[in-house]
Amino acid sequence: MLVEELNLEETDPIDIVDDEPLFGEGLGLDSLDAVELVVLVEKYFGVEIKDMDEGRIAFGSINSLAAFIEERSSVWAAAE
Amino acid sequence: MAGNNLGYAPRPWSSKSIGSKLQHAIFYFLIRMRAKYVVSFLLRVVVGYYVLFRPSIRNRARHYTSRRFPELRQLGRLWTTYLLDLNLGEVLIDRAALGIIGPEFIKVDFRERENLRALVQEGKGVVLLTAHVGGWQVAMVALRFLNVPINLLVHREEGDVDRHYFEHQEGPSPFRIIDPAEPMGGMLSMIEVLKKGEVLCAMGDRVFGSGRGTVATEFIGDPIPVPFSTFKIASATGSPIAILFSHRTGPGAYELSLDRVIRVPGGLGRSPAEFAPYARAFVEALEAFVKVHPFQFFNFFDMWEKGDLPSARNQGRSMKKQGEKGDAKGQTQSDARGGTQPGGDRPNRHCR
Repeated sequence: MLVEELNLEETDPIDIVDDEPLFGEGLGLDSLDAVELVVLVEKYFGVEIKDMDEGRIAFGSINSLAAFIEERSSVWAAAE
Repeated sequence: MAGNNLGYAPRPWSSKSIGSKLQHAIFYFLIRMRAKYVVSFLLRVVVGYYVLFRPSIRNRARHYTSRRFPELRQLGRLWTTYLLDLNLGEVLIDRAALGIIGPEFIKVDFRERENLRALVQEGKGVVLLTAHVGGWQVAMVALRFLNVPINLLVHREEGDVDRHYFEHQEGPSPFRIIDPAEPMGGMLSMIEVLKKGEVLCAMGDRVFGSGRGTVATEFIGDPIPVPFSTFKIASATGSPIAILFSHRTGPGAYELSLDRVIRVPGGLGRSPAEFAPYARAFVEALEAFVKVHPFQFFNFFDMWEKGDLPSARNQGRSMKKQGEKGDAKGQTQSDARGGTQPGGDRPNRHCR
């Protein structure tokens, strides 16, 4: 999803290290990608990233993003 | 991208004051003493000195004055530089007086306040997109009637001795400052405040960070890089963008104008070209402003430098064609003063 939606043309999904930072060194995403990621996470998983604190936790790495989505999804499921 | 510890490219502009701490202290003291004629006289002397004896001051203004006043020769150029710097000085004096004396010192005329209130009441947050023209910080005082938190996107350089007006007072700032040097460029903070229905005030005429987040747009004859991050955020949050300019009409007197409202549709993706029509709408409004208020434009650096955007001129042309075809996915609205015209810009009143 990231490679396709963010047009990371020179990145093969297999090469992405799951615990590497998404921003700066690592996957090399920048501030504009942060906006895109917020939109994508909401679009694909129905999970809202509300503020900077949540963003810092969620956008640390692929692993932390997955954990954040999983946690929020289960909170929603439990609420329903 | 050239290196610094933030990972940003070096900026061609600086927000740092050219005056020393002592010079500022003298002006602040005179303002506190309410010696307005002395302040006015001293300002003229200081500006005259800088313009005559500091070539760097003339060079900084030249990028703009040579385009705005191409017909002028050396003496005329010198005079326009003096007027430009004097106007900036007067705005800075007003700003300091606002902080030191209080809001009663400033009078802001804002006719379209109900239109802006209506935008806030839509509940999706509002982006106030402005520029380094007139007295934008001073005019912000007039926005208290909105009764929602106002957030300013500003970068404060280390060691800058020039204070924001609210820094002259004790107590909490009336604005929340979002610094683009924050992690992720402050983007998440911006989204956060807009989602809460608050107001985000940003400047559309300076680039902070790399040239990747810009589109080249023609401004007074040549393309400049225009940041599109605010348009992207508006696309993500559904917030309307109000283009708002202020200009000084006299000592301590300002007029605030809601030039137009831009609505950026969602799902525009990552391509800078998608945001070009909105950047163009902003720059058109800015160009109209400097036609009417040529000495209230305060960008003293080479905005037209092609370093970051080698193909800026071509990009600017292709965008122009795109605009002529009317193929923008979104639309700029002209409902600031009634008379909505979806799909096209309202002729700007400054042009008339």
